[in-house]
Amino acid sequence: MLYRETGDFKVSYRDDQQTFPIIQDRWLFWGMLAVAFLVIPFIIDDYWEKSIVLPFLVFSLAAIGLNILTGYCGLLSLGTGGFMAVGAYASYKLMTAFPELNIVIVILLSGGVTAAVGMFFGLPSLRIKGFYLAVATLAAQFFLVWLFNKVPWFYNYSATGQITAPERSIFGFAVTGPEATPAATYLFCLAFVTVLALVAKNLIRGRIGRSWMSIRDMDIAAEIIGVPPMRTKLSAFAVSSFYIGIAGALYFTVWFGAAEPTEAFGINQSFLVLFMVIIGGLGSMLGSFLGAAFMVLLPIVLKNIMVGGFDVLPVLAKHVEITLVGSLIIFFLIVEPHGLARLWSIAKEKMRLWPFPH
Amino acid sequence: MEPETVPQRDVLMEVRNITLRFGGVTAIEDISFDILEGEVRAIIGPNGAGKSSMLNVINGFYHPQEGEIWFRGEKRKAMKPHEIARHGIARTFQNIALFRGMTTLDNIMTGRLTKMHRNMFWQAIWRGPAEREEVEHREVVERIIDFLEIQHIRKTPVGRLPYGLQKRVELGRALAAEPKLLLLDEPMAGMNIEEKEDMCRFILDVNDEFGATIALIEHDMGVVMDISDRVVVLDYGRKIGDGTPDVVRNDQTVIDAYLGVAHE
Repeated sequence: MLYRETGDFKVSYRDDQQTFPIIQDRWLFWGMLAVAFLVIPFIIDDYWEKSIVLPFLVFSLAAIGLNILTGYCGLLSLGTGGFMAVGAYASYKLMTAFPELNIVIVILLSGGVTAAVGMFFGLPSLRIKGFYLAVATLAAQFFLVWLFNKVPWFYNYSATGQITAPERSIFGFAVTGPEATPAATYLFCLAFVTVLALVAKNLIRGRIGRSWMSIRDMDIAAEIIGVPPMRTKLSAFAVSSFYIGIAGALYFTVWFGAAEPTEAFGINQSFLVLFMVIIGGLGSMLGSFLGAAFMVLLPIVLKNIMVGGFDVLPVLAKHVEITLVGSLIIFFLIVEPHGLARLWSIAKEKMRLWPFPH
Repeated sequence: MEPETVPQRDVLMEVRNITLRFGGVTAIEDISFDILEGEVRAIIGPNGAGKSSMLNVINGFYHPQEGEIWFRGEKRKAMKPHEIARHGIARTFQNIALFRGMTTLDNIMTGRLTKMHRNMFWQAIWRGPAEREEVEHREVVERIIDFLEIQHIRKTPVGRLPYGLQKRVELGRALAAEPKLLLLDEPMAGMNIEEKEDMCRFILDVNDEFGATIALIEHDMGVVMDISDRVVVLDYGRKIGDGTPDVVRNDQTVIDAYLGVAHE
């Protein structure tokens, strides 16, 4: 059977509304999940963990978060880095204040704290939108980073101003701190990403997702058919920040183990995640993953080609890499402004009628 | 200009002495009329007469400076548009206001938002209550899709549909809310004769089968005279006529407003 919707008949609305309506998608999904959980943990090493897999997982989560806000609800935000910082510092404070608390709960609570902060900074969205809102969230970005630098309580009065994640473990396996094995940290992040991605998908396809999208597409009409704008926009900020906060918490606790706000959570981070969402595809779950993979892998691939293949000096390679990534992004946006996910959906559409032209 | 023999129906909505000003401009001045349960009520008038403003007042988008609105026997408090939607008033727009990035199905499902109540927790889990609720409402929406004969575009993003179909989807979205009062702002603007006939049929069927009271603005006099039970005529923000199509058609003030008066 070919990969397409045609001929795949659904006899109930329940079947028609499932996450992956095409049967091959379901196989692919379960297959990938099986490989991710059962194969990769045994072959993963330190390099793959720290430079490819964890960045991909953490940024996927952040991209899903920003996609919910910008792609689904149409609210442009440049505060991603700041909200990731909130997640990171919340997890740090929780870990140091309650050493007995399970790390899973710590991370979920950090998401909750970030959701509250996100809702607060989302309040201007009730009055302004577009670029003006982007500027308001930019203020959040700078304010939050400033706050974590200036108030010693957040970094427990440490001399360096850095925060360091203490060791925590689940089922006896360390997932944070220097003792954590690549397999353990990987599985820990993967579990979060899998569950939260499914939750995001569920929210998006139901009532809440439709109310977000209605605000995005035509806010006046949405209000007139009964979508309360305030609650809808704030819920988008809350859910989005929850995801970004968890991404920030994982970024700090599991991936780096230590962080310093200006470096780790600066405006660059906000732009990076925004690029991921735009390149992957606004308003697409698949796009969040594709965008994260693209932005994480592209520099690594370029670097390996230049340093490994052409013996370019590493310092020069770094500069060339930045230039190349930038120009590729511009090229890509000109060729396919709706992102990688759109390419996929075009292919799907073509398959619907293939091999007949019409 | 008393409406003559109208069958004894209850008053669904009554607007009393509405005046709406934008700064120094008076868009609507001291207008009163009523809408009876189950009727098709047309609002007509030349350009700039205040018809769309009147609809915007009824669904709470504009707040009039003076006057009151009585709906289902109660005086309506000042409400936000989304609260009014929950009270059973739905509308379509003169310039189509669909959610262009969403499919036909999603657009009409959005019309049922006010009827869906599962909270975020159940939505996140999906299996169980949220899914059941979704299927329940999907059935209602599919009935509307059948009724409007748009099964084939169920999963097409509405931005890609031709104009006539978009108008139909918009009607579907308004219907999905099961409104007591349905406001249609120029439902037939820019349509060819066949599309107009289809739309007329849908409007009359909506009135019959779904039992919705309809208030519509329309410029095509043939259509208005054919499908409406009673007509209100506005001109320069004032009411100049009210009654059955026959009465209005022969009213001298109305004829003058449309054809102009010779100035000596």
